[in-house]
Amino acid sequence: MKQLWSLLSAVALVMLTATTAAAHHSAVQYDFTKAAKITGVVLKFQAINPHMRLTLRITDEKGTRDLEIEGHSTNNMYRAGYRDGMIKVGDTITVDVAPLRDGREGGYMIAAVTASGTRFGVQSAAERARERERAEGK
Amino acid sequence: MPRRIALAALSCLVFLPVSLAGQGGQHPDFTGLWTTYTEPGQARGGGAGRGGGTPLPFTEEAQKKVAGYRALIGGSGATPGGFCLGTGMPGSMLGSGGYPMEILQRPEQINITYEAHNEVRRVYLGDRIVPMADRIPGRNGHSSGHWEGDTLVIETTHLVEQVDQRWPHSDQARIVERYRLITDSARTKVLVAEMTLTDSAFYTKPVTETKKWAYVPNGHLLPYECAEEGWRIHLEELEKQAKESKR
Repeated sequence: MKQLWSLLSAVALVMLTATTAAAHHSAVQYDFTKAAKITGVVLKFQAINPHMRLTLRITDEKGTRDLEIEGHSTNNMYRAGYRDGMIKVGDTITVDVAPLRDGREGGYMIAAVTASGTRFGVQSAAERARERERAEGK
Repeated sequence: MPRRIALAALSCLVFLPVSLAGQGGQHPDFTGLWTTYTEPGQARGGGAGRGGGTPLPFTEEAQKKVAGYRALIGGSGATPGGFCLGTGMPGSMLGSGGYPMEILQRPEQINITYEAHNEVRRVYLGDRIVPMADRIPGRNGHSSGHWEGDTLVIETTHLVEQVDQRWPHSDQARIVERYRLITDSARTKVLVAEMTLTDSAFYTKPVTETKKWAYVPNGHLLPYECAEEGWRIHLEELEKQAKESKR
């Protein structure tokens, strides 16, 4: 639990200080009180700081399209279970994202389940709230 | 009898606490990796973080400067970190933990590295202390230290004016940190820092904060190359332009 809160503190720091340098944007476009899942085939994956970068090819009833997704820093993800080589081009993975506020597809990756079924990442705000309620016996 | 004395001496050496076995010998050793501390029995991590607590006691001039900066940034969410710039003192110290802090301690110099943005502070002691006239101002200032018993006292001056962090300050700011080791009821080794920021240009009275970190046994700091993402995006843009020009 201590590790989780350490990580969440780091995540908060990312929100405050470490947004994408080139795009010069903050994470205000994402709604961290909500969570969504996106499954797709990995076209590109970069384990870098301050954000992991991922391009997923999604195929569903709406058709096939490519989504560019950014996420927590590699350092935060490392402390939340990520290890080198876990995600490779061609893998089918599912990512948990904080969705975009404007309703467009995509989001900010907070966790992922790899092709081998390994999960890494942090809890969503909703998951944390549920955990608190369970702990408090609600 | 001499054999008994020798055995007693040997046992003292074997059980010498790690915290006192540093390079300096006579002072506590803060060397190691330190992360956010959580008080025993509490769900949330402790430490500093002025997210909406007591308002800072700004002077009128500081109030104007900070308000001007915040109006300029507006709702963009822009931060120095967004441009891969470190937080600067005291935010770099008070905000560390989730991204851990590494301390390497020698008698004459203590290096403190905050993982986020690889911010490094070098604290010089004794003969290594740099004369005032030779110091270069910066976001983390210039730090010198001395020991008061088991407490490390660090004084930081030569800061540049910063309105872009949680603890804004002028270039006249002086920060004193007092570090000591404690062991909590769960037997966790805890590093405690009491910080006092004095800056009559920005504050009507000194600002104080207490920050705690928990020791991470055999912990390692991770690399943090903040500019890599921007560089890769730039290369992708160049590739795109090259492809378009060939058409």
